[in-house]
Amino acid sequence: MTGPSPLERAIETALTAGLAVSSGLLVGGLLLARPELLRWGTLLLMMTPVARVAVMSVGLVHKRDWLFALISLWILAVLGSSLFVALRMGLRI
Amino acid sequence: MSDPTAPLLILIGAGTGLVGALLGIGGGVFLVPLLTLAMGVPIRTAIAASLIAVIATASASATVNINRGLVNLRLGLTLEVATSIGGLAGGVAASLLTQRQLFVVFAATLAAMGLVMAVRAGRRNVIRDPDADPGMLGGRLQEGGLVYVYRVRRLGLGLVASLAAGAISGLLGLGGGIVKVPVLNAFCGIPFRVAAGTSTFVIGVTAAASAFVYYGRGDIVFPLTAAIAVGALPASLLGAHLSDRVRARSLKLMMSGVLIVVGALMALEGS
Repeated sequence: MTGPSPLERAIETALTAGLAVSSGLLVGGLLLARPELLRWGTLLLMMTPVARVAVMSVGLVHKRDWLFALISLWILAVLGSSLFVALRMGLRI
Repeated sequence: MSDPTAPLLILIGAGTGLVGALLGIGGGVFLVPLLTLAMGVPIRTAIAASLIAVIATASASATVNINRGLVNLRLGLTLEVATSIGGLAGGVAASLLTQRQLFVVFAATLAAMGLVMAVRAGRRNVIRDPDADPGMLGGRLQEGGLVYVYRVRRLGLGLVASLAAGAISGLLGLGGGIVKVPVLNAFCGIPFRVAAGTSTFVIGVTAAASAFVYYGRGDIVFPLTAAIAVGALPASLLGAHLSDRVRARSLKLMMSGVLIVVGALMALEGS
C-alpha cells in the first residue's frame, strides 16, 4: 500500500490549518471571555470543510480527473448556496 | 473562564468527540440528547452546537484517517453530492417541524440503525486477494500487515441513504454518519473502518451545509458551542488514533448498543 497522495496531503494540510487557527481563537475566546473571538473561531471552524472541498476541487482539476472534479465543484456550489441562504437570513460576517 | 458550566461542556464535547471519531459518526447522536435531556438546553440550540461539534470531530479525525488509507475520496465525493443537498434541505425544513416531531424522527432513526448493526456485527466485507480489481469506487485496506480489497455494491442504496442522512443531519444536528455507516457497511460492501473513515470525511461537509443555516437563524450560542468544540477537537484526534486497536466487531456492537439506548431515551422525551 502506498502512502497518502499529494492531493490527500493537501487536504490534510487545509484541515489542520483550519483546525489550528479556529481552536486557538475558541480557546482564547473562552479564557479571555471575548465573544468576538468565539464568533470568529466558530465561523472559521465552519469554513474548514469548505476550504477542504475547495482544495480538493483544485487538486482534481489539476489531476484532470474531470468527473470527480465536477462533483467536487458541485458540492462547493451547494455549500455556497447554504452560505447564501444564511446571509439572506441575516448572518453577519 | 466566565461560564461556570464550561468545564462540564468541554468534558461532554470530549466524550462525544472520542466516541464519534471511533465510530465514524461525528458524535451528534450523543450530544443532542445529552444537552437537551441532561442540561435542559433548547433543542435548536443543542442541534446548532452539535453541528459545530460534528464539524470539529469530522475534520480532526479526517486528518488521521486520510493518512491511513481509511478515506475513500472518490466514494466520499459521490456520497457527498446526495448528502449535501439533503443537508441544505434539512436545515431549511427544521423550521417547519415541531420539537416533538424532531424527537420522534430522531428516536425511530436510531433504533432502526441499531438493529441493522446488531444483526450484521459478525460479517466482513473484504476480498482476501490483494490483486483483485476494486472497481471505480472500491479500494484497498491494510490491516495487520495484510492488504484486502473491497468493492462497492448497491451504490444507489448508498446514495439514497446519503440523501436521507443529509436531511436528518440538518433536522437533528447529526453528521448523518449513523445512517451512512450502517448502510455502507451492511448493504454496500464497505469494511466498517473504511465506512467510518469515509463517513467522518463526508459529515464535516454535511454538517457545514446545515450549520450555516442555523448560524444565519441565530441558533448558535457561542460560549456553549465553543466549549463543546474545544473538548471535541483533541478527543476526536485520540479516538481516530485508537480506532485501529479496537476490533471491527466490537466497534459495530458498541455502535448498535448506543443507538438503541439513545433512541429509546429520545422516544421517551418526545412522548
